Amino acid sequence: MEIIYLIFILFLSGAIATFLLGKVSKRLRDIAFITTLVVPSVLFFTQINIGQTVDFSVLGIHLSWGITNFSYIFAYIVLGLGVLAGIYAVAAMKGKENLGFFFFNYILSIMAMMGILFSRDLISFFVFWEIMTWSSYLMVVFTGKDVQKVGIKYFIFSAIGAYAMLMAIVITYSLTGSMMISNLIFAFPDFEFGMQILIPVLLLIGFGVKSAMMPLHVWAVGSYSHSPMAYTAVFSGALSKMGIYGMIIVMAGLVSRIPEGYWFREVIAWMGAITAVGGTLWAVAQDDAKKMLAYSSVAQLGYIIIGIAIGTPLAMLASLFMAILHGMFKGTLFMAVGAIEKQTGTTNFTEVTGLIRKMPFTFLASLMSIIALAGIPPLGGFIGKWMLYESVIGSNHYLLIIVIFFSSTAAFLYCYKFLFGFFLGQEEKEWAHVKEAPAMMVVPMVILAIGTFIFGVFPGLILNPIDAGLQELGYAVTQGRYWEMSVLFNEWGDTVVLQPILYTILAVFVFFLAFVLTKNFKKTRYVSTKDISSSGEIPKEHENLTFSRGFFQPFLRSVEPLMRRKIDPYYNSFGRGMEAIFDFVRRIYTGNGQTYALYVVVFALLLLIFKDRLWG
Amino acid sequence: MVGSPVLLIAIPLLAAFLIPLLGIFWKELVRIIPGLVLGYLTILSASLYIDVLNTGTIVETIAGWRAPWGINLVFSPLTGFLATLMTFIGFIIWLYSYRFKRNVEFEAAKKYFIFLMLLVAGSIGIVITGDIFNQFVFIEIVGISAYALTAFYTGRNSAEAAFKYLIMGSLSASALLIAIILIYSQLGTLNMAEIAANIHNMPPQYRVTAMIFFIIGIGVEAEIFPLNGWAPDAYTEAPGPVGSAFAGIVVKAGIYAMVRMMFTLFDISGPMQILIIIGMITLVVAETSALRQVQLKRMLAYSSIGQMGLVLVAFGMGTKAGVFAALFLMLNHAIIKPLLFFSGSYLVFNSKEKNISEMSGLGKLMPFTAAFFALGSFAIVGLPPFAGFWSKLSVLTAAANDGLLLIIAIVLLVSIVEIVYYFRVINRIYFFKFDKATSVVPHKPRVNALIAMAILAILILVIGFYPDSVSEILNRASEDLLNTPDYIKNVLSTGQSLTY
Repeated sequence: MEIIYLIFILFLSGAIATFLLGKVSKRLRDIAFITTLVVPSVLFFTQINIGQTVDFSVLGIHLSWGITNFSYIFAYIVLGLGVLAGIYAVAAMKGKENLGFFFFNYILSIMAMMGILFSRDLISFFVFWEIMTWSSYLMVVFTGKDVQKVGIKYFIFSAIGAYAMLMAIVITYSLTGSMMISNLIFAFPDFEFGMQILIPVLLLIGFGVKSAMMPLHVWAVGSYSHSPMAYTAVFSGALSKMGIYGMIIVMAGLVSRIPEGYWFREVIAWMGAITAVGGTLWAVAQDDAKKMLAYSSVAQLGYIIIGIAIGTPLAMLASLFMAILHGMFKGTLFMAVGAIEKQTGTTNFTEVTGLIRKMPFTFLASLMSIIALAGIPPLGGFIGKWMLYESVIGSNHYLLIIVIFFSSTAAFLYCYKFLFGFFLGQEEKEWAHVKEAPAMMVVPMVILAIGTFIFGVFPGLILNPIDAGLQELGYAVTQGRYWEMSVLFNEWGDTVVLQPILYTILAVFVFFLAFVLTKNFKKTRYVSTKDISSSGEIPKEHENLTFSRGFFQPFLRSVEPLMRRKIDPYYNSFGRGMEAIFDFVRRIYTGNGQTYALYVVVFALLLLIFKDRLWG
Repeated sequence: MVGSPVLLIAIPLLAAFLIPLLGIFWKELVRIIPGLVLGYLTILSASLYIDVLNTGTIVETIAGWRAPWGINLVFSPLTGFLATLMTFIGFIIWLYSYRFKRNVEFEAAKKYFIFLMLLVAGSIGIVITGDIFNQFVFIEIVGISAYALTAFYTGRNSAEAAFKYLIMGSLSASALLIAIILIYSQLGTLNMAEIAANIHNMPPQYRVTAMIFFIIGIGVEAEIFPLNGWAPDAYTEAPGPVGSAFAGIVVKAGIYAMVRMMFTLFDISGPMQILIIIGMITLVVAETSALRQVQLKRMLAYSSIGQMGLVLVAFGMGTKAGVFAALFLMLNHAIIKPLLFFSGSYLVFNSKEKNISEMSGLGKLMPFTAAFFALGSFAIVGLPPFAGFWSKLSVLTAAANDGLLLIIAIVLLVSIVEIVYYFRVINRIYFFKFDKATSVVPHKPRVNALIAMAILAILILVIGFYPDSVSEILNRASEDLLNTPDYIKNVLSTGQSLTY
């Protein structure tokens, strides 16, 4: 049998087996869950060759599955994060009800994402897309909080996106007579003008919803923060990247091949920029870590969208690099928040403080991820951001770069808030009992955090596959010399001299750390955070010395006019208006037999009036 | 030859009359006989259908009168498909309702099974007859048994619902009769094939008038928009299995009569604006009305009406792809909607009001029933990889091929509304807390009902994962509907037909 089929059969049967085993034994269920994630991943990375396809037909439509260089990049995110977050999930969700259902949906979403990457035709793409949507929907409503509001909102938006996509798909089918993505790309420049505009717009709506592009982002925050954190890591880290995946295909395959593509690029780039700024500002304003990270995800995806829209090879490189890195560090951060939630029961910055000594590994992982998120060398985020800035400047988008710099700087605020709120600050008695999370939760986080470091130091590890993927999208061959595209790698010569520099920085740090540790080791004395005196006063036990409440008020006041523009209320009132209209329509069915009889007569009259048009 | 098409009508009619007689000897026979009959019919119909697919249409003349003069039954790839589907759904409904009112009330059960047999017999009759007056008779049989089943729970509401249905039904019957009279007066025949052969000789004003009355006459059973006022009430007030019989069997017969009339009788080829317009209005009005419904069955009823609207739109495109899509939708709807009615009526079994708001948290207490309901909802709103997706996709591709972009957009927007109201219910069942004060007391489904639901669920999954399992059948059926000359030829040349 083809390995490709085997992977999907394993996922599907594993999901069902996990669900059923959950009724028998918890341990078996956990084992089955991990096995179902690991075995297909191993098969995928060892047995699947790029370019290998399987073909079959459904309802007379030719379908084809196979992996390409380009989709391989995303497979790293999906399977890597999927497995690690899966291991995390087993420990994090321990003791919760209905876990069989949770694992079932988890595996299904991973399967659906892999299916999207495997699809070389639009029908399989859509089928997997929808499986991904409803399995993630079931995760959003899993906790049972606000299901009718948050859950339905997520599904409505997903459905709008998916159906916009479906419309584009059926139009494509009627125009080209084929469902293959490659045929769409091939035939696109010959379409008539209206279709050349309509199809990318519809597809971009579909992908924009999943990648939470403003103004289609309103579902994102509620959904990210309401699903269990073990899943949100995948949700924000990998699932939203599927929107990016599709968007890249649309931008590189369709939009760049028509003259009007310029306007698409500009509009999408600015929407990405608005997403970045808005997401960042709202993230700064949050007091709840889940919501903060959710807004931050929206903002980060905004950067990625900007890169895709700019569309120069360097920008694409930057976007894909950031997409992978974002999957890693945002996955870690969501996992860390999940760990904190599990250990303390809350995710509010204003309540939890001073966990640094209680949860050191979680802190370490969070710290590294935050550094990566903020874009500070030597962690991976820096390289992505640098390349993005360079590409935006290089393509003469000066106004855009100001906006990006602004939001990028503002992002430091929430990065700081996250670290300070949870880990630093004054140790409260209330949290004295808190212990480090179980090893199964900590290890995936630390692995991912170390990964961000490794990719920061050796970006070639992922730039190589990205380069191969970009060539498949039709970008110029660089003979693998991807670094030539950025001054970051080229300023000092023709080779990657970044690494020696980073090594030097690292060596200095290590040396300094070793120095400090050895010199002061004997003298180290652990004191409580109240063990200080300011102006001769010794603070009492109950006195609050930290400022965990009302962070950044002056900043928030100054950007308040920007934040007042919200689209969510408009959507809500639109929804309410529609419901009112539908309620009015419902009254057509009066429940009165006489009215119904009247309808028959009126109908007969109408038919008689329009009788000339009945024929044909 | 295992049997002949006439048995498909004769046996259930006979059984309907025998049930009360045999019930005198042994009460259980009242329940067993319908099952035997429907089981036999399913096998008979399926084997006939296989014959038809292999050797060609079977035309049966009744009582030795050749085609134009006597009544004849046409068992073609299309009618055979629908007849098989109906007998199968009938059998499933019997399986589900085997214990209906058992140990409670004998009289009620007896009536239920008698009328169920009549309903099935009439619906099959509508589909396989080749004579319009005969079709009228069958429509009346279906109508009368449907009124009786609607009024089954002899309460005020059900009586009212049945009465409304009766009014609408009688109005439509008179319209239908007028149409038949008009045609007979002009062409001097009641045979569908002969009418089809001569319809273009009929003066246009007569033709159009006849068509209008036909649309009104059949539209009530086909649940098209202004004529479907009876439907929500009837679905709600009738017992659960009857609702699924309406959705799975009766409406299908109505739709068949409608399209047979348009495609064959009036020999219209190409797109039919009237069907598309009526269908769209039906779809939009019904689906939007469903959003704010309080009662579960009423919501399902509106959803059913909406789906039929979509079927008419697909038929109205008049292309092979459109007809294929329409038949696919009918097939899926015939499987999915009964599953929803079955599981839905168990979910609200102990409730008086049958309100959606009473279903909170039932997912934990009735895992199988709730899972079947969820599966049905996923399938009917067209989420892959379940059956409904492929039919929706076929409709959309058919529409795209004709360049009907507006229709695609509206259908998709309406689908979103559909998703919202189905998912609200699913959320309530699964993700709300069970509340003793407001939720219904769960009622464990019987084994036979579970088996019936499981069969439908398996079919949904099979079609969902492997849609090609039915595409060949649907292809043949859609070719058959579009090929009017062959229909005329098959019926009027009695050479290879059976004689009784």
